[in-house]
Amino acid sequence: MLIFTILLDGIAYGMVLFIISVGLTVTMGLMRVVNLAHGAFAMLGGYLSSVMIRHYDAPFIGGALIAALVCGALGGLAELTVYRPLYRKGELAQVLLTFGMIFISIASMTLIFGTTPIAESMPKWLEGLVDLGFRTYPTYRLFLIGVGALLALGLYFIIERSLFGARLRASVDDPGMARALGINVNLLFTLTFIGGCALAGFGGAIGAGILPIEPFYALRYLVLFLVVVVIGGLGSFRGSLAAALAVGLIETTGKYLLPQLGSFLLWFIVFGLLLWRPYGLLPPKSAT
Amino acid sequence: MKAIIRLAAIAGFVLATTTAIAQTVKIGLLAPFSGPFAIWGSQFKQAVEAYQKVHGDSVKGAKIEVIYRDNAGDPTRTRQLAEEMILREKVSFLTGFALTPEALAVSELITEAKVPAIIMNSGAAIITRKSPYFVRVSFSVNAFTAPIPAWFEKEKIKSVYILVSDYAPGHDIEEALKEGVKKIGVNVVGAERMPLSTTDFAPYMERAGRANPEVVYMFVPAGAPSIAIVREFAKRGLKDKGIKLAGSGEVQEAFLPAIGDDVVGTISGFHYTETNTNPQNVLLRKTLVELFGKDATPDAGSAGAWDGMRLMYDAVAELGPKVTGDQFIKFARGRAWDSPRGPISIDPEERDIIQNMYLRQVEKRDGKLVNIDLMTVPNVRDPWKIANPNAK
Amino acid sequence: MTEPGKTTLAPPFTPPGSGLGALQLRDLWHLAPWLIAIGFYFVGDGFHSFGTNILIMILFTLSLDLALGFAGIITLGHAAFFGAGAYTAGIIAVHMTTDPLVGLLLATLLAGVLGIITGMLILHTQGVAMFMLTLAIASMFYEVANQWRSLTGGDDGLTVPRSAPLLAYFGFAGFRFDFRGMTGYLYTLSVVFLWFLIAWRVVKSPFGRSLDGIRQNPRRMRAIGTPVWWRLVAMYGLSAAMAGTAGALQAHATRLVGLTSLQLELSGIVAVMLVLGGERRLYGAFVGAAFFMIVQDWAAAKNPVYWMFVIGGLLMAVVLFLEGGLMGLVDKIAGLFARKPGQKAGGAK
Repeated sequence: MLIFTILLDGIAYGMVLFIISVGLTVTMGLMRVVNLAHGAFAMLGGYLSSVMIRHYDAPFIGGALIAALVCGALGGLAELTVYRPLYRKGELAQVLLTFGMIFISIASMTLIFGTTPIAESMPKWLEGLVDLGFRTYPTYRLFLIGVGALLALGLYFIIERSLFGARLRASVDDPGMARALGINVNLLFTLTFIGGCALAGFGGAIGAGILPIEPFYALRYLVLFLVVVVIGGLGSFRGSLAAALAVGLIETTGKYLLPQLGSFLLWFIVFGLLLWRPYGLLPPKSAT
Repeated sequence: MKAIIRLAAIAGFVLATTTAIAQTVKIGLLAPFSGPFAIWGSQFKQAVEAYQKVHGDSVKGAKIEVIYRDNAGDPTRTRQLAEEMILREKVSFLTGFALTPEALAVSELITEAKVPAIIMNSGAAIITRKSPYFVRVSFSVNAFTAPIPAWFEKEKIKSVYILVSDYAPGHDIEEALKEGVKKIGVNVVGAERMPLSTTDFAPYMERAGRANPEVVYMFVPAGAPSIAIVREFAKRGLKDKGIKLAGSGEVQEAFLPAIGDDVVGTISGFHYTETNTNPQNVLLRKTLVELFGKDATPDAGSAGAWDGMRLMYDAVAELGPKVTGDQFIKFARGRAWDSPRGPISIDPEERDIIQNMYLRQVEKRDGKLVNIDLMTVPNVRDPWKIANPNAK
Repeated sequence: MTEPGKTTLAPPFTPPGSGLGALQLRDLWHLAPWLIAIGFYFVGDGFHSFGTNILIMILFTLSLDLALGFAGIITLGHAAFFGAGAYTAGIIAVHMTTDPLVGLLLATLLAGVLGIITGMLILHTQGVAMFMLTLAIASMFYEVANQWRSLTGGDDGLTVPRSAPLLAYFGFAGFRFDFRGMTGYLYTLSVVFLWFLIAWRVVKSPFGRSLDGIRQNPRRMRAIGTPVWWRLVAMYGLSAAMAGTAGALQAHATRLVGLTSLQLELSGIVAVMLVLGGERRLYGAFVGAAFFMIVQDWAAAKNPVYWMFVIGGLLMAVVLFLEGGLMGLVDKIAGLFARKPGQKAGGAK
């Protein structure tokens, strides 16, 4: 019985990580920019949707969607102003600049919202438990699994079955060639960046029950998002799904079965995996 | 001639300024104002400001200046700040201290510098033994378990599962509860220590639910962890199974709105019931609302800060602005007064607090979630100190 | 065009001066930071503990300069070695001996060994993978310290007993560590000075130069036969040892070792200090660390929220507009004064 709990909890957790991190894998894999501030967009999404729900009586999903839109817009703005100059400056500059952005986002959120984590605004239909027959399980986590699966499916269709997706994959595999074929790679970058930030905001909003929203969110979960992206393989959607689920399951298993180890188990596995496969589990062709 | 006049002017100026400075009593308040436990810093500050609004910011001509410093809950930072306060600002008192590690970090420093530290919150039993200059006006966590056995007997409860945070106060309370319930024949079906940084209590509540106790007793630092754990208790179906949840500071009134209606029915053994009608409490609540708006709610931190200020003000009033650490400690021993919580006094031997312990239950009254007293155990001395007279 | 019958000789080759004979007047600038530090000892009453903390951060930042600035190893996990040194010194003081030098040496050694071992494991990777591996290592250290409560005190932290008097050997009573922190300050200053000399020598040596090359183009360095991996490991190990010393000094100074000494935030902060001051400048570490600590102290006293704004903004400004950090700025300003025809602009250090 415990194994079902671990599976369900792990997958739910992994789904939240996937939704937030999939945008980051594109940024780092496609645009080759180390964006440590990605978690800040997720955090912002969480705060925004909470404000929508509490002060403007927005429905839960509606609030999350609005948060996604705002985060996407902000992402686009940031890309044009802050990230563009970074492309040429090298990894260290990107690491440091986005680290600075994290500090500023933490400070802003503290200033506006204070330091206590915001209270969860869970709608009635997500509270409570669902009877699965062999056990009951929190509705909210099932919802997360469902939304994550839907999004993964949707992204699959976009990436694998649409023209946009084809162009995107081409640009990831060989930007020079893609440009030569007339694909506007820069525009693709910007659009995907916006999409990634929007997804992060959405993920932060609906995942607030598992990853509580507080000013240090951007820093606290950053390493998890990075792990998902790097283990999965930069630029690989399938990779980030696999890695997110793996991280979710490993962390959850550790919590239930080996609490004395804490997160050591996860890091040990990350360490081993990276030494064995430095380009990730399912890297896109351009990496190797 | 000119030189002499100049010298005299300078001397006079220096004399005047030093005398003026000597009339200020500086208090260094170290607490988290940022980070996950920032709620303490803000509660302390609000209560101090409320106290100074009511009693003024000077005592018999001496100005009382409170200097706030953020330690972000970090013991290393606390120690550095304490050093700065003592050496740079030349404070007469140190105070604040939300979590236990913050207080422990300054124990040797205050002994060497002979500066008293008045603890407004930190709860591990051993703190006041670590330095003769600690005076605690808040609580000792072990005392929170005092009313629980009586409640168990009344409700004929026979089994309990214990979940505590893995740090000194958590360990203390686990031991204290085990001792207390052993005497009345209650079975401890399980006990777990959770890392202090835990935000996801699902695994612990799962295991607790499986063990099928009648009561789950919890201890986590108040704030984000306590909100999360109470919610998880309901989310994992334990409440629906009929299991009761008991704790101490997790369900203080200030956190109840964030937890939501799931918290109704939760039992706590605590030293301060926010809705009580003591005149000091009424004054505290009234002033907080005046200064900070109608949603301002006092909690244990506020009560601790209010009483800490009271003790320091009384000391300065009786002993003057140049009161030394040793004089203050002598003054504090055995001192008794009326607090927003009820009658309290300082244990003359241990310099720890002696106060009533209340057993409360969360109810919804007039649409508001509040704690209502069910039972009172009067004048509780820290049980750990009684059981361990020589431990340091 | 040479005239027929005449050969023009190249101008005689004068190798750059070395040793004390090559000292010039402008080299006296090098004394400046040390004179300031010593002067501070006499006038900074009440601030010695703060000064000691600044010195410790300078040492830590200097260590990162070696690994990140010179060798080009992008790491946000350097706090692992700082914390390892801190906990080692603390544990030794609690369980073995309170002689500070013993703790210091063992902490340095252990951190260095850990640096070499982890370096050997990860330094053949590059880019993002290496970056993540440094994070993974730091996180593992953190979890070990967090869980091994009996040794490290876990969340409560490890209280370190006061160090025995310094240099109390052969019948000499030694220098007592007073709570005003004055002995601690001089002790820290001496250790920092020693490490600075070592760093200076290493950086100016052929070994150090080769690492500069490795940072810029590892492939080419391999092509000319440099044992790239070994050199990186050696530099990483040295840098780790240095960070370990800084940690040990902090354990002795603040008498408390907490989990924050192993956290990502600390690694990030020391990287900020380095960039603010200017990488590969050695003195950049001094300027950056001192600047950061002073601003933090001032801003945090005003309002704890503001300092994150200030630091974040400064970091972004430095990356976007001020390459080379504050030392780079100093160079630019000095360049305005020193430029003469035929001379290099600015003081190249």
